[in-house]
Amino acid sequence: MSSRDNILATLRANRPDPAAHPLPPVAMLGDMDNSRQRFENALQLLGGQILLPEEGDTLATAIARRFPDAKIICSAVPDFEGTIRIEDIESPQQAAATDVLVVRSPFGIAEMGSIFLSEAQLNSLNSAAHLTQHIVVILSEDNLSANMHTTYLERPEFHTANYGVLMSGPSATADIQGVLIRGAQGVRSLSVWWE
Amino acid sequence: MKVKPVNHAKAAEEFLEDAPHLTFHDERLWDMRQKRDQQMHLLPEWQDLRTRASEIKEHTLANLPEYLEQFEANAKKNGIHVHWAKDGEEHNRIVAEILEQHGAKTLIKSKSMVTEECDMRAYLQPRGVTVTETDLGERIQQLDDQLPSHIVVPAVHKLVPDVARIFAKNYNTDPNDNSPQSLAEAQRMAARPVILTSDAGMTGGNFLVAETGTFVVCTNEGNADLSATVPNLHIATLGIERLVPRMADLGVFVRLLSRSALGSPITQYTTHFRGPQKGGEMHIILVDNGRSTRLGMEEFWTSLKCIRCGACMNTCPVYRRSGGLSYGAVYSGPIGAIIDPTFNERKYSTLPFASTMNGSCTNVCPVKINIHEQLYKWRRVLAEHHELPFVKREIMHMAGKLMGQPKLYRTAINGTEVALSTLPRFVLYNWLNPWGKHRELPHPVKQTFHSWYKQNRLKKDKAQ
Amino acid sequence: MKIGLFIPCYIDAFYPNAGIATLELLEKLGQDVEYPMDQTCCGQPMANSGCNSDAAAAEALFVRNFAKYDAIVMPSGSCTHHVRDNFDAIPQTDDVKHVRKNTFELVEFLHDILKVEEFPWAEFPHKVGLHNSCGTLRALRTASMSELGEPFFSKPMDLLSKVKGISFATPKRPDECCGFGGTFSVTEEAVSARMGLDKVRDHHQAGAEYIVSADTSCMMHQQGCAERGGVPIRFIHIAEILNGARA
Ligand code: SF4
Repeated sequence: MSSRDNILATLRANRPDPAAHPLPPVAMLGDMDNSRQRFENALQLLGGQILLPEEGDTLATAIARRFPDAKIICSAVPDFEGTIRIEDIESPQQAAATDVLVVRSPFGIAEMGSIFLSEAQLNSLNSAAHLTQHIVVILSEDNLSANMHTTYLERPEFHTANYGVLMSGPSATADIQGVLIRGAQGVRSLSVWWE
Repeated sequence: MKVKPVNHAKAAEEFLEDAPHLTFHDERLWDMRQKRDQQMHLLPEWQDLRTRASEIKEHTLANLPEYLEQFEANAKKNGIHVHWAKDGEEHNRIVAEILEQHGAKTLIKSKSMVTEECDMRAYLQPRGVTVTETDLGERIQQLDDQLPSHIVVPAVHKLVPDVARIFAKNYNTDPNDNSPQSLAEAQRMAARPVILTSDAGMTGGNFLVAETGTFVVCTNEGNADLSATVPNLHIATLGIERLVPRMADLGVFVRLLSRSALGSPITQYTTHFRGPQKGGEMHIILVDNGRSTRLGMEEFWTSLKCIRCGACMNTCPVYRRSGGLSYGAVYSGPIGAIIDPTFNERKYSTLPFASTMNGSCTNVCPVKINIHEQLYKWRRVLAEHHELPFVKREIMHMAGKLMGQPKLYRTAINGTEVALSTLPRFVLYNWLNPWGKHRELPHPVKQTFHSWYKQNRLKKDKAQ
Repeated sequence: MKIGLFIPCYIDAFYPNAGIATLELLEKLGQDVEYPMDQTCCGQPMANSGCNSDAAAAEALFVRNFAKYDAIVMPSGSCTHHVRDNFDAIPQTDDVKHVRKNTFELVEFLHDILKVEEFPWAEFPHKVGLHNSCGTLRALRTASMSELGEPFFSKPMDLLSKVKGISFATPKRPDECCGFGGTFSVTEEAVSARMGLDKVRDHHQAGAEYIVSADTSCMMHQQGCAERGGVPIRFIHIAEILNGARA
């Protein structure tokens, strides 16, 4: 017998009575507030930032102000130039030189301050989202889901994307003597730009 | 050769001798517990979430074969190669074969307790594969040649100078660097080139979703996503108990996991892998390694509900004061003490006794595993299977007999010589001796309650 | 109601005053109390060590001693927990079931059964730190547990609050286990003693003059740790305070 069949057979022989353990209905709990305010609070708690426009700002001027030293700014959106387009990046090795990546997220989660990215937003170069030093995420207030329950129920992406990441602030670690460090191995910062 | 039981008490005693490490360890983990409490207080539905999580897991475990088949079918449909491993040996062999097919000599990986269970690095290394842990804590442990001491924060028992020493040796950094920031940066700088040139990537995973064939990885450092997306070959290893039926069930678990673990609402990265990336290949290995047998243990099968959040370890007053390494096992703390004996009953026979059974672990567990009750039940099982030290067993036997005979008991209490039928006195005293090592004995009293009662109540009754 | 009084072995031998206070207090409250002279132990030490069959003789004797009472009261949370929740080394006869159902820890008996409203004789002009043993806290549930985030309640504190002059210290980790744990205290003596020391220091730093508890076993251990560690704090059983002890 293959290990597969072996394992399944042992499980069948050993399992507790299925009738005694019915599946509860899908949970729909918690705060249903999907406001921008809630999202921003949650995002900031996890170390994310809001890229706030100043008088007369465009995304480009805001990025230039926020990242004055950035040399390679990669755009994954049609409405922003950058210094290079994601379609022109051939490999992760090339993507690793990126200072700032600009992407558009299809939705955010108010409870967590999370934004979602998949291959659809990254031109299938998924590593680009993690190799860049900084990431700027364009997000619309209209696309906020209240919490994790509503998100999994509402968003079709979880059933279609091969790679779907919820990013909640920048990468972080507290593995050295408990000191929280933002900017571990993935992005050093994550900023949200409201559109 | 007979396996020797882990001497937790002795290892713990050594751990306790180092005051700076002990104090930090206890306070850091207690702080994580406090942060978990704060998150709990923010969610009025917390207990409801725990109940749901427990019910979903119990249901899934009772229907595991069907859900595994469903998962497999969906994953295959999405282009994932699905493998089954009955034990660690088979798991490691599968990994080696996949790597060989691709001529892969370097493997970067994120944290996975299952690969620790399988002792995978030790298997691959001599076969010419260089395995690099990319999680900071796990990497520190790899470089120091130690098991992770905690399932969420693997190097929590170390202080900055320890890390500085290890990094100086391996990364040529300043051995006196006392800044966690610059040490973390050193890890980033050392890991990047390895990640960018690695032949294959490996991750663990937190959940399998039967409905979609998805697996979910929850991490903070970004290293798991890098390991999974930079190389074109991604191998994921997960225990078969990691399943949930529906995508929507993840809502319950994601809301509980990081809050219970670290006291943060969610991990920085919650990644859903449903199929290979463009141009890439994806493998998933479903590992049994004792789980299917455990499912048949009436008193212990619910330990399979565990989502590896580590909350039981953070709250455990014994764990905090003995350190994860003192358990001498891949899994330490309360959850370790109830699952380790399923891997090796003799070797881990001491672990269910490394607890006061105070029950705090059960209360924090997000999937409501009755951990402290299972500790109690394990003690019984181990005694029945003759896995208790001889002296302890004899003392309990003797005490049990004595307690059944009030006259004999009274004579013993009153200090008169009693024939201790099974054990000489010095054995008993030797066994009890440790009491006085760090503690005073109770003060002697003039009169027992028994004799006071006789004098003050029984005599009075008669006089009336 | 006829009450059988059970005095656990370590109270009998080392802390008779806690036993005497329990008896006198119940008598002051007008109860009809008897102490069966042939009692020994409830079986807990053997059962907790995994040696459940070795607990059988003690459990059988316990039932022989106490089956005839309407209620069995004991100044010990862990023994109550054993009788109520784990007492299964012997066949579950009607007598055994009766005993298991009607065994109460002193605080819950005063609070839930007798519903005592006042202790006019009691005055304790000291700052105390309350130690809830894990048995009373998480098994008998005589107080709220911090892990669950439930609304605050505390039966022992309710009772103590009726005592004149008493005030409470608030330790940082109020429901952390003190590390006694029965045989754990000798098989894992280093961890056990460290937990005890941390516990008494926490109370001392919170300003407690006394640690008060419904469980003498915890206090026996804590007292040993405090004395060895040079932590100036005193110990008293809750029954003694409620019975009118002044110091
Ligand atoms: S047993 Fe419960 S608390 Fe412990 S790691 Fe598993 S899920 Fe978390």
